[in-house]
Amino acid sequence: MQFSKLWLQEFFDSSLDDIDLAQTLTIAGIEVEEIQDLSGLSDQIVVGEIVSMEKHPDADRLNVCQVDVGSKELLQIVCGAPNARQGIKIPCAKVGAQLPGFDIKKAKLRGVESFGMLCSAKELGLSQESDGLYELKSDLMLGQPVVDALALNDSIYHLSITPNRADCLSMKGIAREVEALSDLTLKKFTSEYNQIPSSNTQEIIVEDATLCPRYVGLHIQGVDNKKKLPEFMTHYLERGGISSINPVVDITNYVLLETGQPLHAFDKDKIHGNVSVRKAIKDESLMMINHQEIIFSGEELVIADQSGPLALAGIMGGLLSSSQEGTTNIFLESAYFDPAAISGRARSFSLNTDSSHRFERGVDFGSTLNAAQYAASLIIKYCGGSISASVDITGNLPQRSAISLRTKRVADIMGMEISDTEIKAILAKLQFEFTYEKGIFTVNPPTYRFDMCIEEDLVEEVIRLYGYDNIPALMPSTKALMLPVDSRKKDLKITKDTLVNLGYNEVISYSFIGKVVEEGLHDNKNPIKLKNPIASHLDVMRSRIWGSHIDALVYNLNRSQKNIRIFEVASVYQEREGTYTETKVLSGLVYGDQVPEQWGEKNKEINFFDIKGDIESISSNTLTFNKPKKAIPGAFHPGKVAEIIMNGNHIGWLGQLHPSWQQQYEIPKKTYLFEIDIEKLSQTTHNPYTIPSKFIPIRRDVSLVMNKDVVVGEAIEAVYGMKISNLIEFQPFDIYEGEGVEKDKKSIAFLILIQDTYKTLEDTDIAKVVDQVVAVMEGKYNAKLR
Amino acid sequence: MEDLKKLIDEAKKDFDSCESLTELDNSKSKYIGKTGPLTEAMKGLSSLSKEEKPKAGAFINEIKKSIELLLVARKETIQNNELSKQLNDESIDVTLPGIRRNQGSLHPITLTMNRIESFFHSIGFTMTDGPEIEDDYHNFTALNIPEYHPARAMHDTFYIDDEHVLRTHTSPVQVRYMKNNKPPLKIISPGRVYRVDSDATHSPMFHQVEGLWIDEKVSFANLKGVVQDFLQQFFEDNTLSIRFRPSFFPFTEPSAEIDMSWNGGWLEIGGCGMVHPEVLKHVGIDINEYQGFAFGLGVERLAMLKFELNDLRPFFTHDLRFLQQFKA
Repeated sequence: MQFSKLWLQEFFDSSLDDIDLAQTLTIAGIEVEEIQDLSGLSDQIVVGEIVSMEKHPDADRLNVCQVDVGSKELLQIVCGAPNARQGIKIPCAKVGAQLPGFDIKKAKLRGVESFGMLCSAKELGLSQESDGLYELKSDLMLGQPVVDALALNDSIYHLSITPNRADCLSMKGIAREVEALSDLTLKKFTSEYNQIPSSNTQEIIVEDATLCPRYVGLHIQGVDNKKKLPEFMTHYLERGGISSINPVVDITNYVLLETGQPLHAFDKDKIHGNVSVRKAIKDESLMMINHQEIIFSGEELVIADQSGPLALAGIMGGLLSSSQEGTTNIFLESAYFDPAAISGRARSFSLNTDSSHRFERGVDFGSTLNAAQYAASLIIKYCGGSISASVDITGNLPQRSAISLRTKRVADIMGMEISDTEIKAILAKLQFEFTYEKGIFTVNPPTYRFDMCIEEDLVEEVIRLYGYDNIPALMPSTKALMLPVDSRKKDLKITKDTLVNLGYNEVISYSFIGKVVEEGLHDNKNPIKLKNPIASHLDVMRSRIWGSHIDALVYNLNRSQKNIRIFEVASVYQEREGTYTETKVLSGLVYGDQVPEQWGEKNKEINFFDIKGDIESISSNTLTFNKPKKAIPGAFHPGKVAEIIMNGNHIGWLGQLHPSWQQQYEIPKKTYLFEIDIEKLSQTTHNPYTIPSKFIPIRRDVSLVMNKDVVVGEAIEAVYGMKISNLIEFQPFDIYEGEGVEKDKKSIAFLILIQDTYKTLEDTDIAKVVDQVVAVMEGKYNAKLR
Repeated sequence: MEDLKKLIDEAKKDFDSCESLTELDNSKSKYIGKTGPLTEAMKGLSSLSKEEKPKAGAFINEIKKSIELLLVARKETIQNNELSKQLNDESIDVTLPGIRRNQGSLHPITLTMNRIESFFHSIGFTMTDGPEIEDDYHNFTALNIPEYHPARAMHDTFYIDDEHVLRTHTSPVQVRYMKNNKPPLKIISPGRVYRVDSDATHSPMFHQVEGLWIDEKVSFANLKGVVQDFLQQFFEDNTLSIRFRPSFFPFTEPSAEIDMSWNGGWLEIGGCGMVHPEVLKHVGIDINEYQGFAFGLGVERLAMLKFELNDLRPFFTHDLRFLQQFKA
């Protein structure tokens, strides 16, 4: 919503400059987003007249104009506007004038001197677009600054009106609001038009009296639609954001802006037979004023004649039956459509009109007839003609029931005391009718306040006028209760901090990714698609984070970063039989060297076991990394990937990016990816805590030769599984393949830690443990002592 | 005999010229070794008279003692010299860079959310969250935004199918929590939200923190108190001005935009209000017994202000040179 301040001023006797209009409106919830001051135009821009015009000798599109600006000498100005012609009056910016964005200087255009510029409305900042010179009225005085001639001592207020305040989508509404919020008093609105008897001479059939509870139609015949409206009207319209079209349409728009009542003027001669307000029939179509053809679904409300729809009710009229310059007989519609009839319809055709915007939010059904009469009187006043027939059909208008408002309720919600007197004053300011009895107000809000339905609506109004600023900021007094803390759940913050200390940088990436990545790298053939993605490479929800992290890797490699360790904790999404599941995972990517390049340490490329160690150190539980039994995700190198197992359950993956993906992304070195279910990882289960034995553990080393394909992790598990008494640790400390060991074998040196809780062990006890361990390795894995 | 006295001076000279313990050991034998002149002199005592013997013996011992003292002193000096030489040789250039491990960083949005959480946690708010692929009911209908309501158009919603959207705000968490828990309720819920919008100040994915406090007497004045206290603590400025400006959200009434004074003007930080009775009815809370407030804060906006950034895109481009600045 935007409006001319001059127009608003007309509603008040005292000057609006007495109050801070923008502040007053904004702190009451009518946000003033921008004030556009028009009075800033240079007074060197004056009314001029093209007295003669010749073609530019060297440029087809340019003309050389002689312009009279009220001084003795004519100005020679080169102009390229298509509507430049002899005899028109236009704004002329003289040398030295400042326009928004540039200054006017003497110039040579293709060899012809030019002493100024003839301006369009857009160049003066008066409209958003224009297709030529701004043609001024012929009675303006030559040489008069345009600021004065066009009454530009004005400013345009741009408002952001919340959907509940439909009543403020008009000058009348804003004026009412200003009166309620300030000490200014509205002038009495006087009707300067005659009441029109509703003779119902035109046959109108309202088939749906619920969706169209009120329909007023007037015939005006003998109109001259080529007349010019007074400048103030077109100024107000343009400053209200509506371009001038023809007098009849302009008047309907003028009344719309002033009263908030949308009107439509049909060309009566294009209407065949009776008019009806009905539901559209499926597949009917209509060419709209904006040249968009609409095919109806059957849900829409239309105005139709015998041959079909004339208008999409409350949204937009049809092209054929619209009022044109040559129109002489008019059928003027003023109706109240229920928001339910309009809501969503305009958007379903990608339309948003001044009319639909208001009907969706609620139009004052108390002023349907008045607005029609007002518009008719303006049409007759400026374009001639007379009313020949009228119709006024009233159906089921909304019922406004009285609302109770308790002073106590207001005080409870505000959190402070407020008196009956204060509430009374506020309700009076708002022009709400009410009665009062024993702490309860019974309020009848006006027809234009669609947002007043329940007690809280009134409470909000009272608080709003009382002033949010006048309510103290108080901390609640409340019971001091401690919050429970689950000791079996590891705080995510600790996990993140550990990763940070291990050199990982946290990133946050979009939850959506390209379908190609999802189906390829992420190996998900059933991606969750977005109906309206922001870009084609972000069109599905990701089931893994890896694709986003590889993008992050590439981004950083392109910026000369060498060592990349990143992680993210976020949801991944999957669809299973129509239901969507979200799993929170810790996911990461590692690339580059173990430590940054430096003088004291040799560069060593990071490997699987570095990251395995990192993951082990973020878990409070023992994790095992198994050779996968599940299907391996396609992103991984099939020989360098592990399932991460906790307490026997799969909780994630760690592995090297498959070399073919590495090649496809043009990544120079090996890249590692991991993913862990963070909910499962954060569940901590602890073995019972024990006091360490006072006896020192004895260490024995054994070297075992076994087949290369023996999975060491499984072998260790197998040894532990035997529950050999006094064995406390069995671990490899060296692995050797090569000279001295058969080709398909490997030699592994294990340390064996042996300890008893109660006594110092004898050599024989120790030998017994070692023998048992070796026996397991020999028996299960065919290992030989070296 | 008197000649032996000269040995002291000679030994001193000799010892002083020794630079190592080995040299000193060699020199020592020249004076007090088995074949040294003092041993010889001791042997010659036998030729002396009974009266002279003790006197001469004492004399020789005297000289021997003196030489031994010299030897000990020199030995100490040599040892000291050797130690300082060793220490000198071992000295390092302490200005060389330290051996660096990689040190990672938390994301500025996480840092901001952690900071927000800690303030609310300190006055008893519980953390909770909800799904990001949300159904229409929880994202809109239960929040008093029926189908076709103009407020829906303002949300720029990402649609998955006819019934599911990417949540446009964290408010659905309120509904889910209120349905499953009995008042008094006091939660905050930080998380990802989505709107079809992308430029220097809008990201199609961003973060909000939702707050909800329902109790018997939690009022609008309390809402002002909590939000003001939070912002003043967050920005570490007890004089920070906060303005509550009337606004409209279908799920709160009265509703307010939260503005914060910034660089001489006002800056919108979030929205809030008293939870709408319709919303409370949806989740089965008796409006005659309970009331309360809800607020939603934009995390990126708070992070940008706190870290003095004027573009939110770096939050989502993963540039390590940017992220590493937020190392702890």
